Amino acid sequence: MHLANLRFTVAGILAVIGISAFVIALGYEFGSARRMGPGYFPVVLSGILTLLAVSEMISAAMKPGAIAVDWRPFMAILAAVAGFAVTMALFGMIPAFFVVIGLSTLSEPRFGWVPALILAVVTSTGAWLLFSRFLGMTMPLFDWP
Amino acid sequence: MWENILLGFATAMTVENLMYCFVGVFLGTFIGVLPGLGSLAAISMLLPMSFYLEPTTALILLAGIYYGGEYGGSIASILLNLPGTPSAAVTCLDGNPMAKQGRAGVALFVTAIASFVGGSVGVVALMGFGPSIAQLGLSFGPADYFALMLLGLVAAVTVGGGSLVKGLIMVVLGLLLGTAGTDVTSGEFRYTFGFLELRDGVSLVAIAMGLFGIAEVVSSVREAGTRKITEKVTMRSMMPTRADMRRTVGPMARGSSIGGFLGALPGAGTVIAAFLAYATEIRVAKDKTRFGKGAVEGVAAPESANNAAAQTAFIPTLTIGIPGSATMSIMLGALMIHGITPGPLLVTDHPTIFWGLIASFWIGNLFLLVLNIPLIGLWVKVLQFPYKYIYPVVIALICIGVFSMRTSVFDVGLVVIFGGLGYLLQRTGYSAAPLILGFVLGPMLEENLRRAMLMARGDAMRMVSDPVTGSILGLSAAMLIWAIYGGVRNVIRSRQVKDIPPGET
Repeated sequence: MHLANLRFTVAGILAVIGISAFVIALGYEFGSARRMGPGYFPVVLSGILTLLAVSEMISAAMKPGAIAVDWRPFMAILAAVAGFAVTMALFGMIPAFFVVIGLSTLSEPRFGWVPALILAVVTSTGAWLLFSRFLGMTMPLFDWP
Repeated sequence: MWENILLGFATAMTVENLMYCFVGVFLGTFIGVLPGLGSLAAISMLLPMSFYLEPTTALILLAGIYYGGEYGGSIASILLNLPGTPSAAVTCLDGNPMAKQGRAGVALFVTAIASFVGGSVGVVALMGFGPSIAQLGLSFGPADYFALMLLGLVAAVTVGGGSLVKGLIMVVLGLLLGTAGTDVTSGEFRYTFGFLELRDGVSLVAIAMGLFGIAEVVSSVREAGTRKITEKVTMRSMMPTRADMRRTVGPMARGSSIGGFLGALPGAGTVIAAFLAYATEIRVAKDKTRFGKGAVEGVAAPESANNAAAQTAFIPTLTIGIPGSATMSIMLGALMIHGITPGPLLVTDHPTIFWGLIASFWIGNLFLLVLNIPLIGLWVKVLQFPYKYIYPVVIALICIGVFSMRTSVFDVGLVVIFGGLGYLLQRTGYSAAPLILGFVLGPMLEENLRRAMLMARGDAMRMVSDPVTGSILGLSAAMLIWAIYGGVRNVIRSRQVKDIPPGET
């Protein structure tokens, strides 16, 4: 899938980050050049970021070009990491490993659930041995909210 | 001097440290061999492992991972012609043609030897110049530190090539991310959005794993299926001919000196070192047409330069506390997690760490040589293993690694954000390295600027008029202006090209 002008969109995201950071930083004490407050640095930086990002938006708008993005692995892998975070918090490490591996394998249309399951079993066993037994990390293997 | 070196070797030679050095080199090579993952990803993924160790041992482990990752990257780039890092791209120029001629083994052997020679030269330079530069660093005031860090950031943006605006955006975004958390001077919370987890700042590992780990894996999922390695690499095929050996001596000597010198300068040291060493070889060669078609000199020179530079890059990182590259900033971050602040005092206050680390650098290089020649078959197997069974495990390891840093689910959530942003940034031509550098230097840069301005009574001209501070700031300004000039010239040129009516070119 191609997004009409990804360069423009990304520069736009950066500009939004810059503007929001600038507005938030205005709430911190600015101080003076001699005695800079906590707001001085963020205000200057987010100001520069916004200006640069806007100039990049302009240059992207003048030279449009389609950039290919692999949305399938992108979404699958981000979902896998997010899924890990949620499952880890609720159900512990072993279920979290199954979730992260299962969702990652959705990156490819024909991965197959058998290899995915084997991969999850092998990885979670390895992680249990390495982290819990060898390094002695204390984290719940299974949990129930 | 000698007793310090002996102290270093005594520290590094304990059984435990040797073991972790070996483990580091092994795991680093393993991760570096995987397509798309380089030494930086290797360090960030394995950083949590080091938390359970003594500071010296932890650093030795990380340094081993670093070398291993670099070398693993070269294996992948020579065999697949897919450079994971910009400096490996130079090795590819002649390394991959060599592989295509069935001389992959020789290319890998020369890479290992050249890395070892370059690394050793770099270690000697680090021993010789490190302490005196630390001495010099003692006389620096906040204004000088500010100027030096600024120089490092400007160099990272201007020297690496690519778009200047995009590079600057990344540095500024990194600096801005660095301001999140508790302000050191006033104690006020900035950009914490009410999250307790953000009071200590954004997690460096979460940023690095998102930008380098997740983003790289996403972009290599599709490509990886299409690559195949057909060359067989055995130990016997690695043995170079006598002519090969003779040809590599000169390039290694020149490459190591170029790399050793350039690496100590802040900015993208290893990349320029590799390029310059390659260019030098072409200049001194009698038959220039051999380059790009599998000349062994074209592998030996950049590899030795790149590794010498990697060593001397530790000079500014350890002795002044200013990292020159993204990888060095992760190392600096690791040091600080272990409660050690790199700087001029490190050499005098923690001699075991400083000298032990240097000694283990050399031991790490030696291990790399010993490990990689017999184990080359294994690494090629790893490279041939279907990528579809590797990346889900890599993602899982990234998750557990980030989580275990602070047993924080919040940090794993940050990885989602930085991973998504990182992939989009990468697709649109932004390089993540300046962001990491800015993020690590940000808090130091701000603190020193605030102190310097307080001492200068708010008069920036007083800072500039100091000879040392002024000349460093002048150098940064000159580099920036030069880069802007270059960018403008390119735009004008491309306009002129466009003006030529089609059909005539």
